[in-house]
Amino acid sequence: MIKQKIKNQIRRLRFDANEMTQAELAEKASVTRQTIIALEAQKYSPSLELAFRIAKVFDVPLEEAFQYN
Amino acid sequence: MKFLNNYSNRELNMWARLSLDILTSVYFISKISPLIINYQFYSNELMRDAIVPIILTTVVIAIIYSIIVFGTINTLTKREEKDERDYIYELKSYKISNNIYQISNYLIIGVIIFNALYQENFGELSPQKIAMILLIIALLSSTGKSLTQLFNYRKSI
Repeated sequence: MIKQKIKNQIRRLRFDANEMTQAELAEKASVTRQTIIALEAQKYSPSLELAFRIAKVFDVPLEEAFQYN
Repeated sequence: MKFLNNYSNRELNMWARLSLDILTSVYFISKISPLIINYQFYSNELMRDAIVPIILTTVVIAIIYSIIVFGTINTLTKREEKDERDYIYELKSYKISNNIYQISNYLIIGVIIFNALYQENFGELSPQKIAMILLIIALLSSTGKSLTQLFNYRKSI
C-alpha cells in the first residue's frame, strides 16, 4: 500500500506573515508548539479542523496551506 | 534546572511517567518474583505477611515519587493543554497497553482451563499467585503505554 501524505506550506506561510514564530502560530491555532514543529517537519497529518484553523490564521484557502499527494 | 527549559512540559511528564513505571515495576517484580518462584503461594499468611507490605511499599514509593517529580516539573515549567496530537498518541499507547493486558489475561485463562481439562497443575497457579501475576502484568502494560506514548511523541518532532 502506498502511504499518502498531506504536505503543508506552514513554514513559508509563517515567513510571509511577518516571520510569525512557531509559538505564536501554536497559540493562535490552539495547539502546542511541538505540534507545529511536527507539522512543519511533515511528520504529522492534522485533523480537518486543525487544518482549517491554521489556514484561517494565515487567512488563506485550505488548499494553499495543505496539499494531498 | 536550566535543562528543563529545553523540553516541553508534556515531554518531561512523559519521561517522569516512564521512569515511575520502570521504578515501580523493577521494585515490585524484584521483590515478588522470588516468592512466586520459591513458594507454593497457597498460604494466606504469606499473602498477609510478605505480599501486602510489598504492595504498600510500592504504592508509597509511587506517591512520594509523583509528589516530588511531577510537582517539580509542573512548578518549573509552563503547563500545557493537551491538543489533538497528544490525544492521538495517548490513544495509540492505550491500545498497546490494552493489547498487552488482554493477551496476558488470555494466557492465564488458557493455563487455568488447561489445568482443569487435563488435571494438571501447570505453573501451579493458586488464586494468590494469579493475583500477583495480574499485578505484574498491570505494571508492565502501564510501562508499555508510557514507552509507546513517549516513542510516538519523540518520533514526530
